[in-house]
Amino acid sequence: MAGVTSSPLRRALVAPFTRRAWAELWYALVSFPLAVGAFAFSLVTLHNGIFLAGSAPALRRLGSANRYLVRRILAEDIPAPPPLRPYSVAHVRTPDADRLAALARAEGARVKQRGNRVTIGKLPANRIAELAADEHIVIHALNPGNKVGWYRGASRDPYTWKARGYFGMKPVIASIHLVVAVGFRLAGLFYLTYPLWQEFAGAGPGLGTGHPVPLAASFLFVPLGAALLLAAPWLTHGVSELDLMFVRAFLGPASDPAALAERVKNLEQARAHVVDDSAARLRSIERDLHDGAQAQLVALAMKLGLAKEKLEPSAPPDLTRIAQLVDDAHLSAIEAIAELRTLARGIHPAVLDNGLTDALTTLAARSGVPVELIADIPERPSAAIETIAYFSAAELLANVAKHSGARHATLEAVHVPGLLRIRVTDDGHGGASAAPGGGLRGLAERARTVDGRLDIDSPPGGPTVVTVELPSHA
Amino acid sequence: MLRIVIAEDAAVIRAGLSEVLADRGHEVIAAVGDAEALKAAVAEHKPDVAIIDVRMPPDQTDEGLRAAIAIRREHPATSILVFSQYVETRYAADLLRMRPGHGAGGVGYLLKDRVANVGEFTDAIARVAAGGTALDPEVVTGMLNGARHASTLATLTGRERDVLALMAEGRSNTAVAERLVVSERAVEKHISNIFSKLGLPPSDSDHRRVLAVLAYLGS
Repeated sequence: MAGVTSSPLRRALVAPFTRRAWAELWYALVSFPLAVGAFAFSLVTLHNGIFLAGSAPALRRLGSANRYLVRRILAEDIPAPPPLRPYSVAHVRTPDADRLAALARAEGARVKQRGNRVTIGKLPANRIAELAADEHIVIHALNPGNKVGWYRGASRDPYTWKARGYFGMKPVIASIHLVVAVGFRLAGLFYLTYPLWQEFAGAGPGLGTGHPVPLAASFLFVPLGAALLLAAPWLTHGVSELDLMFVRAFLGPASDPAALAERVKNLEQARAHVVDDSAARLRSIERDLHDGAQAQLVALAMKLGLAKEKLEPSAPPDLTRIAQLVDDAHLSAIEAIAELRTLARGIHPAVLDNGLTDALTTLAARSGVPVELIADIPERPSAAIETIAYFSAAELLANVAKHSGARHATLEAVHVPGLLRIRVTDDGHGGASAAPGGGLRGLAERARTVDGRLDIDSPPGGPTVVTVELPSHA
Repeated sequence: MLRIVIAEDAAVIRAGLSEVLADRGHEVIAAVGDAEALKAAVAEHKPDVAIIDVRMPPDQTDEGLRAAIAIRREHPATSILVFSQYVETRYAADLLRMRPGHGAGGVGYLLKDRVANVGEFTDAIARVAAGGTALDPEVVTGMLNGARHASTLATLTGRERDVLALMAEGRSNTAVAERLVVSERAVEKHISNIFSKLGLPPSDSDHRRVLAVLAYLGS
């Protein structure tokens, strides 16, 4: 690794004064108080129960403070770990309890099963829903604990534990760091100038002997001082690298290249779909305008134009004809208004401003088939999610009315922390599928753009259950 | 009285057009909703004028225009009036590129806004049916702005540009003079100036002049 052009001696002499050496010295100084504080905090909060959980956000913040120092001083950008996820203990009721329990166990969850009730710990609710949907397991109730789920999640959060581990040993590293970075330098300077101290300050301890040494002998300490000064940057660098390694391993995200590549692929597909989807939506809006309101307005203008001519004083006005033209124009205007209203609603339903529950109530009331609405949305998901949920529900209900032959449908909308589920059940003849180019496929792809999913359970003869699951926040 | 075929996919506009034309005493012998039906209707009825919406099923792009070009080729005696929602100078250029032979019908290209103006619309039909040209002022403006010979056009005075635009719409000298409130002599002078600046030999036919100018602008 030694360069051909720069001799090792030269590099050794320059090393103490490089920018990097100063940065590492600075880091050793600044991170020491953080190390002590964080160590004390992680120790004090190492209590089972509320302290353990409650300290999780703070510990993660300490971790990010440490990453911040590393980034600002050592110019090493270590990404943040994924955010704290509330791990719930979910209570699930399903006729397929055995299968769901087995699946959850295979995922490493803690599972308790009693009859058709399964209690699943250590697995996020949306993952449970995913598992069930993948295996066509019908879930009747999925109740993730709210606050309890958060505390459990926080006290088991792997990244908090890793941060705790890091800060547990950080004082050791930080102390060594401080000793080699600051102590070695100070001692080096001291011994390098030892004969001066000896001569002018009277006495000085000779390497811990406690006795003054003769002036001639004191020169023996000069090379020791030089050695300490020269060694300091290298040792500091070594400890810095060691610390960086720990920071990466304990305060950074777990890296799984395969999973990451898969994720990137999914995101790329989802993005492509978003782009196509929005272009297609714009096109269809343009077409709706062109075929609808614009055409109505052209017709309206033609009729009014004719009527205007008939009113010109050159000939006696044919009032019957004029009345009929104006009447036609009036109808065209009313139709244009209706077209525009429908179109505007298709772009953004104003009723959605009041929340999903109101919007879905309106939707259910307008449906061609009687719809029972079960909505449980204590907290509002983000606006984008609400919009997707609304249009999914609208499309699903439209499908029920158009294709299913159903006499009755149920629209469920349930929002639990992290997951919004829209489910439409109908008593029609079944056989629905996400055929390419079909409406259901479009819905599935739109859900996928926000990491949501769509599941269809529609055996021939019915009933049809279509479930759309979306994260609370896009 | 003219025998007219209408091709327009929006039923409301189709009905409106039929009504306006009937009001003017023309006979609408067929009103169809797509390009194939249009071609069949023209082949069957040999109408005096075909009024064609550019955008029609199945692709909603320029089916009407392509049908118009085909009709021009197969039934040159039928005059054609094409209309669309937006200014598409390319469409106008495509239409005008089809040089009519002797005794061929006229061509026109209007925006739907113009169609909605009953007077201008029936005027345009009359001009086209007489073998003339009817171009929407906005289309003309678009062509003038998009012309490759913009530098040459820049040498025209404002008044000359006005005259050129009106000529391009298919107006006669008299109409241009009326519109600009000048004498017919003055218009003739402007026109000969335009031709000399654009390097076009003067011609006696109103229609050919317009085509010459537009061919120059659009080519």
